[in-house]
Amino acid sequence: MLPVLSPVPGTAVAMTGVPDPVFAQGMVGPGAAVEPDRAPQDALAPITGRILKLHPHAFVVVSTEGRGVLVHLGIDTVTLGGAGFDLLAAEGDQVEAGTPVIRWNPADVAAGGRAPIVPVVALDAAPDAVADPAAGEVAAGDRLFSWA
Amino acid sequence: MAERRVTVESEVGLHARPAALFVEAASKAAGTVTVAKGDGTPVPAKSILAVMGLDVRNGDEIVINVDGDDAEAVLDRLAEIANAG
Repeated sequence: MLPVLSPVPGTAVAMTGVPDPVFAQGMVGPGAAVEPDRAPQDALAPITGRILKLHPHAFVVVSTEGRGVLVHLGIDTVTLGGAGFDLLAAEGDQVEAGTPVIRWNPADVAAGGRAPIVPVVALDAAPDAVADPAAGEVAAGDRLFSWA
Repeated sequence: MAERRVTVESEVGLHARPAALFVEAASKAAGTVTVAKGDGTPVPAKSILAVMGLDVRNGDEIVINVDGDDAEAVLDRLAEIANAG
């Protein structure tokens, strides 16, 4: 079981609650989402591993066993072109679970008319590989779900 | 085996949404499907981790290879996804 941590503080919700069908229908992969607190915050690495891809609004960490987790900060935030996102790590970095990766403010994303919800996705995982999802309030770094 | 070179017109490249659609379409193919960026190393197109790891951006050329009887139809669909959105 690989514990996958919540990258942000907020309220854990099911992936089906993400207002984007590609995430909600599990096409990117299974996982869970967090409705983040509307305050400036650092998004943390959900697992220990290497930062495979780092975009201003999203990143992928891959464990030494090859398990990849995608953290996507808000919906349609790719269109912001990086405005409002500060990178605290670099692509290729080896990070511990809980390491700050991107600083952002969900309140700004919401003010721009975008949903700041944060899908956390187990890539290439079977739909039933995600177990024991957290419910309700989570702090950044709390376990969000387990990857069997 | 059939091959096609496609210049990606999707505004965001093969990022989360188009990548998910691309992998879903590739996964429906009967045989092996690979994708490479330009003349780079091909990766399995049925793996979203692999496709996201390619970091394909708008304007990049990708090379798609498909095995199997349905290869041309699969290539049509993958090219369509690479150019949408």
